[in-house]
Amino acid sequence: MEFVLEIILNLVGFGVGLLIGIFAHIGFRNTGSPTLFRLTIAFLSISIGFGVVGLGYMGDSFFIHSGKIESGIQTLGIGIQTIGYFFIAFSHGIKSFFPKSRYLKSIVVPLFIIPGNSIEHIIRSISFILLVYGTIETIMSYMENRKTSTIFVASGLGLLALGEFLGWYSVVFPKSVLYVLSISTKIVGLGALFVPISKVPLRGMKFGGNI
Amino acid sequence: MAATYRTHMSIIGDILTTTRDEVPDETGASVTYLIRKANISYGRISKILETLVQQGLLEQTNSDRACKYKISSRGREFLQAYRGFREFAETFGLRI
Repeated sequence: MEFVLEIILNLVGFGVGLLIGIFAHIGFRNTGSPTLFRLTIAFLSISIGFGVVGLGYMGDSFFIHSGKIESGIQTLGIGIQTIGYFFIAFSHGIKSFFPKSRYLKSIVVPLFIIPGNSIEHIIRSISFILLVYGTIETIMSYMENRKTSTIFVASGLGLLALGEFLGWYSVVFPKSVLYVLSISTKIVGLGALFVPISKVPLRGMKFGGNI
Repeated sequence: MAATYRTHMSIIGDILTTTRDEVPDETGASVTYLIRKANISYGRISKILETLVQQGLLEQTNSDRACKYKISSRGREFLQAYRGFREFAETFGLRI
């Protein structure tokens, strides 16, 4: 049952990420904006990442029947999602990725050192940091423009960060509900990202790409 | 207060908005008028206007020996779509 839930959640993540990615791509095609290009790569990567993990679960469920996903596929999917999170953070311009304060360094550095025995957990920790960075930048944008939709995006990125943290923490309790909780939190996060985007009028207009 | 730099797209948005909402008469807006409203140099606006006319977003009219520009129906549609995509980017705290 838990296995089926994980398949469904990952496929929902694939669908939501794909929808946002397509919207960003239409915007890029119409305007040629580099910002929209980066958001296209970000959300298509997130979508593909969820899709790879979902297909990994489906492959095991239908063909291998081992009861657990191949760790290589899981790592690949999470790695592809991390590329997406990087592009969201990169869109804000990574001005000061590592804080100068040694007190803050003492908080950030262990995130890289503690999970050093596993590629998957290193990737998760990088995702977490990128998402926290994106959340903080979006909150700062909200302070300037006071748009409710920006709060939805900040909440979405924050929930994705929490989801990554829970997924990373599930290494301590591998058989617990933490992993399902992690995926669910990420899906809610993607949903929160989708709310303001769904209100933007979607028009399949095509203009010249050289504007 | 930090300076806010306009992107190429936002300059185009400003030009199209001016030709839609702030034209001084029915014949359209002159280059001088657009330069003043969009706050951009002659050299730069000439290239942009040429591209917008080529793309069919602006219509060029000749009145009193001076070139004037009016927004086309395609330009109006583009401006509406541009505002949607700008809104999309702004929800992420970004500018297009």
